[in-house]
Amino acid sequence: MNVELEINNSASADARFVSWAPSPCRIRMTNPAGAPGPQVNVTLTCVSASASAGLVVFRRNPTGAFSSSITLPVPVSGATVPFFVAGRFGRPSVNNNDVKIEARAGTTLIGGIKLMVRIRKDANSLTAAERDRFVNAFAKLNNQGAGRFVDFRNMHTLVSSPQAHGAPGFLPWHRAYLLDLERELQAIDPSVALPYWRFDKPAPRLFTRDFMGVSNAVGRVQFTAGHPFIFWTTDGVQGINRIPLNNWAPTTQAAPGARTEAATLALGAQFSGFRTMEGNPHGTAHTVWDGSISDIPTAAKDPLFFLLHCNVDRLWAKWQRQNARFNPAQAGSFSGSGSNPIGHNLPDTMWPWNGITGGSRPPTAPGGALAGSPCVNAPGAQPMVRDTFDFQGSVSAGSRLGFDYDDVALA
Amino acid sequence: MSNAVSTRPQSESEFASMVDGLALDPQRSGELIAMLREDHPVYEQRGTNTIVRMRGWILLALAQVGVTDDSLIFVLEELDTGVDAYLVAAAARALRTYNQPSAALVPFVMRAFNTVRYHDDPVSFDGYGDYADSSNFTTPTRELIKTLAWLGAHAREVLPELRSLRTQGLSKKIKDEIDLAIEAIERDGPAVAAKDCCEFRGSLRDTLFWALGSRSPTETIKAVVFEDHKGELITFRDFFRDRPSIVAFFYTRCDNPLKCSLTIAKLARIQKLLVEKGVADRIQTAAITYDPGFDSARRLQTYGKDRGLELSSQHRMLRATEGMDLLSRHFNLGVNFIESLVSRHRLELYILDAQGRIAASFERIHWEEQQVVEKAIEVLNEKVADQTPAVQEQIARKDKRARTAGVMGAIASLGVAFFPKCPICWAGYLSMLGIAGLDQIPYSPWLQPVFVGMIFLNLLSVWLRSRLTGGMIGFYLVSVGAAAIMVSRIGHGSKAAGLAGFALTLAGSLLSTLRSAGPRFPFQGKWSNLFFQPPVR
Amino acid sequence: MTTKRKAAKSSKSSPKRKTPARSARTAFAMATNSEKTPKQRIAAMSEVPLAVCENDENLQAILNVLRNEAEPVPVRLAALQSLQAASFSVISFQPCRADYIATLRKIATDPDPEIRQRALGILARDKDGFAQKKLIQGLQNPDQALLPPEKALQLLSNDVHAEAYAIAREMVKNPPNEIAKQEALRLLAADAESAPIFEKHLRDKEETREVREISAAALQSINPQKMHAEARKIVLDKSDHDDIQATSLTALATTSDDTEAAFIDEELFKEVERLRSKGSANVKKSARRFLSKFGR
Repeated sequence: MNVELEINNSASADARFVSWAPSPCRIRMTNPAGAPGPQVNVTLTCVSASASAGLVVFRRNPTGAFSSSITLPVPVSGATVPFFVAGRFGRPSVNNNDVKIEARAGTTLIGGIKLMVRIRKDANSLTAAERDRFVNAFAKLNNQGAGRFVDFRNMHTLVSSPQAHGAPGFLPWHRAYLLDLERELQAIDPSVALPYWRFDKPAPRLFTRDFMGVSNAVGRVQFTAGHPFIFWTTDGVQGINRIPLNNWAPTTQAAPGARTEAATLALGAQFSGFRTMEGNPHGTAHTVWDGSISDIPTAAKDPLFFLLHCNVDRLWAKWQRQNARFNPAQAGSFSGSGSNPIGHNLPDTMWPWNGITGGSRPPTAPGGALAGSPCVNAPGAQPMVRDTFDFQGSVSAGSRLGFDYDDVALA
Repeated sequence: MSNAVSTRPQSESEFASMVDGLALDPQRSGELIAMLREDHPVYEQRGTNTIVRMRGWILLALAQVGVTDDSLIFVLEELDTGVDAYLVAAAARALRTYNQPSAALVPFVMRAFNTVRYHDDPVSFDGYGDYADSSNFTTPTRELIKTLAWLGAHAREVLPELRSLRTQGLSKKIKDEIDLAIEAIERDGPAVAAKDCCEFRGSLRDTLFWALGSRSPTETIKAVVFEDHKGELITFRDFFRDRPSIVAFFYTRCDNPLKCSLTIAKLARIQKLLVEKGVADRIQTAAITYDPGFDSARRLQTYGKDRGLELSSQHRMLRATEGMDLLSRHFNLGVNFIESLVSRHRLELYILDAQGRIAASFERIHWEEQQVVEKAIEVLNEKVADQTPAVQEQIARKDKRARTAGVMGAIASLGVAFFPKCPICWAGYLSMLGIAGLDQIPYSPWLQPVFVGMIFLNLLSVWLRSRLTGGMIGFYLVSVGAAAIMVSRIGHGSKAAGLAGFALTLAGSLLSTLRSAGPRFPFQGKWSNLFFQPPVR
Repeated sequence: MTTKRKAAKSSKSSPKRKTPARSARTAFAMATNSEKTPKQRIAAMSEVPLAVCENDENLQAILNVLRNEAEPVPVRLAALQSLQAASFSVISFQPCRADYIATLRKIATDPDPEIRQRALGILARDKDGFAQKKLIQGLQNPDQALLPPEKALQLLSNDVHAEAYAIAREMVKNPPNEIAKQEALRLLAADAESAPIFEKHLRDKEETREVREISAAALQSINPQKMHAEARKIVLDKSDHDDIQATSLTALATTSDDTEAAFIDEELFKEVERLRSKGSANVKKSARRFLSKFGR
């Protein structure tokens, strides 16, 4: 007797990634030999490759409590039976396929599938393997200046900056931007999730020569020999310029002047108050450095930019959870829609993914549509501002964006 | 290009003095205008920002003498494609000295406003090369708003936009300028009928057309060698022939998004329009880089694909590996360099006819894709009968040569297509011919098994070929044909069935031989269809 | 009880909640108050970005702090940082930008070197012509230099059109110091005609690791085939340094096209497999990465 399991309702191995938000899955009988009747009770359990590896939980229905195992009546006809799987909060994977779901009929193992609980983590807490996979994938995306990264660099320039800054669409736009980049990284290595730089804390394992590098006296970032970022090239010039200002040591100190997480989350329950975090801590985190990352025209040249913004997005995600602000239509989740500049209203599609150019939009739209995912359908190729809010599918399961943060539980 | 202007290397202050002198002499304003050509020697080996200072000073000098019809194109070019605050501000100021305010100028002013609005850097016009470092400055948006005020009633259409701007987060100084502009426009009376847009654009001479018979020959550049986006080498002569071409010049390191990046994105839209109009296989496109030393095949391909270009043998990105200077002279390219790097260039797009001769050019001002495609189709459909007798004779000679080559080529192509490509094909042909031949021999009993054997041999060979190529249609046809032939032998026989059977057998055998691996279609990139969806907010 | 008394009672009993905007105004007042201590003012500056562009008075107040040479340098730098942070909010910063850029140009010649460097850095990253002119003048005439040559070169590399190739080549030939040479080489990486310079430095085993790394990266950009040929030689050369071998392997492993294919053969695989087990830690890692690219 055998059963087949599908994660995210897909047979593709590229879809075997889950986060804290429940993923729709299904099971069906592929070989009913030995089945005692028209259906068999199959019990699903999770086996973790190690104590530090991922764990998943199950539930039968779209809502309800999760459990560490689940028993499903699976017909021998081969009809599929749906169920849901989610990563158990606090137990993200460290490697691809370090979680296995086993299917048993009684005590007999009749099927299984390996998957990963893929979560955005604090960059300072990554294992060496996680760090290296991320760096390798990012370097490949850059491809010494000739890779797809050039589009991401060109999405964030002075000309395009009004699409994404200084107005309420700042957070939604950057969420979509990071998601697009992360999916491109995952097309290179599906085990990669974008890590975040927790700028209100020291980061001794992030600012090392093995990871984001160490600045020399003149502000040139240095890496260990053979590090893929040695060949990091943007605008035809190789290298990363970045140096901490005012004798600040990022390995032992938080970014000076940057609002703490608690203070940021206390900016208010209304989006109009919270979004002032664009100035501080976001702007402060950019400007505690001298170098590319400290100015809009050049900020996206530095790979650290994306870890910085991942933390900005994490803060928004946390604020959303704290204040139940996943529904963009709800008052307080957003501000000023209808009277904001173009690209900053809830029903606006966002440049560059909408391909709209000219007039109040930039003259070109690099990168094309937003990258798709084998795991989820949202937010679509041309997302609107409002499509970025319900990232966990709390309001509508179909809105799930396929990412989660290690310290932001499911709402 | 005037010889009066010194082309020896000058310091910037010498240059500024020279321009000041020209501005004082109305008879020599033509030399000022000549210096606005990008390839003018005064710009050789100058960096981009140096050229900005130089060109800005020339625009300000033109403002002293008054912008004329001849110089207007350069002023509008800066408003249309410029991103540098100094140049845009200088152009806006210069425009106010033109003697024919017109509503046709308003779109240029507003486009420039949208471009520089969030990059509204301070500029100083006090002296050559001055950079504003105090509170005494102007900005491009202020100059542009002043220009709207100058346009007066001609700018009535933008009053709603100006009033809306007033409520947005602009500086007090700009709001004050907007108030003055609104007042000036309202005071200037009712709206003035715009000079016909096409008539206005026609007077700019940013688009030029050459009739058949007046086009420059391509002898000097026929042998220019290009490497395309796949690394394949091809000469000018071999690529630009037999069909019209739309050719854009660009380079990947251009940092003005209104120029090269937009040009290539628009070329991609042109490609889509060509497909829509059913002429994509009759009009080719090419993007040629100004920077062949840096723009390798890999870079060209990435750049083009990122902007939605469909690349194929008829739609290529090219760099000249030899003869770039010849190309530059032939096209009279508006570009200059500092060492190998482009320091300044204009927008330029050309339509070449089927002999590779320049038939049309679009320069400086942004062209509309529809306009370019329509012109290219016009070139495609050029009728010899409309030309002079001498040109007709010339074209006829060329056409005859081309036709002969074409017929021979077609025959050769058919032969290649139908030539048996494998032993199975040979078996198919022979067995088919054998069936036909046997059919002609007068009846003899011993021929029947041979006849049936030939049919099955033919069937088997076509079946094997079909399995190899994945296309079973040939086999099905041959099967039906074989059945028809067999039926024609039963009883009194049916000649019609026999003929039909033979025809089907022939068709099926030929089809199975012709089929190869199947066509490969260009990858539809992520940009496909985005520009032709209904506008979405 | 009347409405007024109710409101007064209410305000006495519960403190008015501070909105972010209100906090910013309070912080602004502190930051621009020269009677407060530098420490207090610097701490307040981090809250200021929101208030900078609220009106012209605010803007001029903070710009005055930045321009004023009598103010303590740390306070001026904190003011600069606040303005920089505010500049990320492009739409709301629009009213401030012109004065901000003018002030940056003014302080580019400030007596304090750090203020000069920060101002010129912001301008150079914006490809400002004023900054480029000053930096090049400083490289050509050291007595007019506003920044050390290595920093000037680094800032000029923000714009490939900055007219700096000639001076950069001169710096490579006659470097004032090693770091200046490295920055000059990086700048030249955008110059297609400088490939021979990079080939020469890459081959030279006496060169520093940084110079050879920069040369490898530059050559990879300008002429990938040449780089792959050199990378192969370096990896096969048992007498060459570990570090450059690791870098060369990375060059071969991280390209995403086929340009390196012509230089990959069994001899190279064999040597890389040896390095995977016998090389230094960095070489082993690079070797693993290289081999995994080819499924080995």
